[in-house]
Amino acid sequence: MADLEIKDLTVQVEDKVILKGANLTLSKGEVHALMGPNGSGKSTLANVLMGNPFYQVVKGEVLYKGQDLLAMSPDERARRGLFIAFQYPVSIPGVTMSSFLRTAVSARRGYDKELMPVGEFQKLLKQKMDELKIEPAIVSRYVNEGFSGGEKKRAEILQMAMLEPEIAIMDETDSGLDIDSVKVVSDGVNRMLERAKGTMGILLITHYSRILHFIKPSYVHVMFDGRFVVSGGPDLAEELEQSGYEGIKAQFEVIAAEVQAEGAVRRAGKVFWVEH
Amino acid sequence: MQEQMTHLARAGFSRESVLALSERLGEPAWMREFRLAAWEAFERLPWPAPADPEWRRTDPTMFRLEGIRPFADAPAGALPASLQQVVDAWRAPAGLLLQRNSQGVRSQLDPGAARRGVVFTDLHTALRERGDLIREYFMTTCVRPDETKFRALHAALWSGGALLYVPDGVEITAPLVSLAWIDADGVGVFPHLLVIAGPSSKVTLITGAASPPGEWPPSRGSGWPGSSTDGHGPARVEGQAFADPVTELILRDGAQVRLVTLQDWGSNVAEIGIIRSVLARDAELRSLLVGFGGKVVKTNVESILDGPGATSEMLGLVFGDSRQHFDLHTLQEHRAPHTLSDLLYKNAVKDRARSVFSGMIRVLPGAQKTNAFQANRNLILSEGAKADSIPNLEIMANDLRCTHGSATSRLNEEHLFYLMSRGLARAQAVRMVVEGFFAELLDRVPLDDLRARLQWEIEQKMAEDADGNGTGEIPTRRPLRNGEPQPTS
Repeated sequence: MADLEIKDLTVQVEDKVILKGANLTLSKGEVHALMGPNGSGKSTLANVLMGNPFYQVVKGEVLYKGQDLLAMSPDERARRGLFIAFQYPVSIPGVTMSSFLRTAVSARRGYDKELMPVGEFQKLLKQKMDELKIEPAIVSRYVNEGFSGGEKKRAEILQMAMLEPEIAIMDETDSGLDIDSVKVVSDGVNRMLERAKGTMGILLITHYSRILHFIKPSYVHVMFDGRFVVSGGPDLAEELEQSGYEGIKAQFEVIAAEVQAEGAVRRAGKVFWVEH
Repeated sequence: MQEQMTHLARAGFSRESVLALSERLGEPAWMREFRLAAWEAFERLPWPAPADPEWRRTDPTMFRLEGIRPFADAPAGALPASLQQVVDAWRAPAGLLLQRNSQGVRSQLDPGAARRGVVFTDLHTALRERGDLIREYFMTTCVRPDETKFRALHAALWSGGALLYVPDGVEITAPLVSLAWIDADGVGVFPHLLVIAGPSSKVTLITGAASPPGEWPPSRGSGWPGSSTDGHGPARVEGQAFADPVTELILRDGAQVRLVTLQDWGSNVAEIGIIRSVLARDAELRSLLVGFGGKVVKTNVESILDGPGATSEMLGLVFGDSRQHFDLHTLQEHRAPHTLSDLLYKNAVKDRARSVFSGMIRVLPGAQKTNAFQANRNLILSEGAKADSIPNLEIMANDLRCTHGSATSRLNEEHLFYLMSRGLARAQAVRMVVEGFFAELLDRVPLDDLRARLQWEIEQKMAEDADGNGTGEIPTRRPLRNGEPQPTS
């Protein structure tokens, strides 16, 4: 049994259907890259997995370690080891990074009434900040407030390192980062993977294949118009880097027309369509 | 009207009771005459009417005097433990005054400060010992008895309160603390605080007003850390209580004053009060008004920048819950050039509470090179709660910088989702967002003990449900697409 099983997930925002029957299985120890053009539904998938209340699941199910993930509140998902590094993290005025991080780590580690001892927390925080080359001053600032794009992304990865998730979703962590920052972030993630020794899985959402040179995926998926349409090994990412999404788009249009005419499962070139 | 006055007279609101009070307190003739003149003004002035602009959002009948006694003794003997805790919560102040009901019961002042000429005493003692100061400043230049009916009532029936006088050039580092506590049934209190800060003096004054929870539902703890019901005082005060406080601050040239006003009455208290400051040349006032308690509270906070170079920082923190009603009127009046006022009021309302912020910036002709800033932020925590914001400007100068703005927002679901996605339970996330809302303001008040106390209070407010039972869970709200601040001006 995979740790995360997404079955026929259909999701809408307000009246617009964004995910149209997405299927994916992912287990700890694996790194799955999820690629696709803008607007294909990648971020929607990430947000739905974390329980963002703005998205409505209309069909399908998600099992996390065999349990109904969609029935859990976002905080319960987080405490059970799910994590998302947001593409656009919000800033929270008046709440300092350090008090937020201490509260979050305490929740994840099962401190019920009190918080994690401050000394232990600070030691952990310092270690993770050093590894990610994050300015110590950031922790006395308000959460994400006035952070540069790069600072926000690093702060997300800092949270990931602090919370030690079992399944982490990284939503376009690389976009907006210069190459040096991509390296620092990737080094940090690789270190986490190494330390986790197979107890952490990652769903790495990206628009570009650049970060995949640093974080090596075991699988690559392409999403198109709310569906997974191609799955393959690492070579798929390189192919996309060469040819862009145009080839996939053409194949997709062919089978979309066929499905409309005849229904059921179709395949054209690498692209597949699964109707449940 | 006649009928109402007769009714009031039976309750102790009459010319005779004013005379009796003055006699009982052994006051000089001039104060007796002052009180009687004020009583005449009270009789002459109209009751506030719903049509009055200042009363558009607060029902004047909430401030009825029926059933209220204008004076109540402090019970003899030791302080009840809950009050003792209130007093003990202030560590090492330079001076401490305590008023229980209408009477002062404790007065202390650091001998070093006393030697340097600082006067910090209850106002009745001050009237005997520093009658000169009282006669010159008591409701003469700052607040005047004939401004409104309730100010006239205060002038006629004032009791308790304090005088703080800091001579020229004297600086007091530790805060002075003045506390008022009421635990008599149906009492009306009229405490008067008069602060005279001499040229280039420096002082911090913290005033606190509190009482046990009222009978009027819901109840909550008296609001102070560690306070509890005990065998030495009434756990509750029966009937409505009434407070009509006046605070006058006179800052002479270059005086620096920090004033913190903590209002934490029980839920049966109706308060109508004013805090007004007059700032001379280069004087600097940093004030913080905190409103946590009371049933209905109407407070004016006013800074008159009378001398060139004067600066007034006006901060306000209000947190209403259950059915509390707060009506705040602020005034930044610039009468002289090169003056600065900077106002920030942050109000949170929960359950069915309501807050009204009505802020006026007035710049008189000649007050050039003025900077006047006003910001009001409101956070609505429940569907049934409401916050109004009414900024006003009257600008009669033409060389100035002036900004005003207000924003009222509900809990931002995106913020909550972010915090919850890191494992924080919803109630925990809400608490963090609310603390963050106030942090911007508290970050500007460099009094660590006070800050810790306010944070504790805010947590208590957050932990109570609409019935004040402290069950702590915040109901899940439907997702709000428009969670972003909505500018209202």
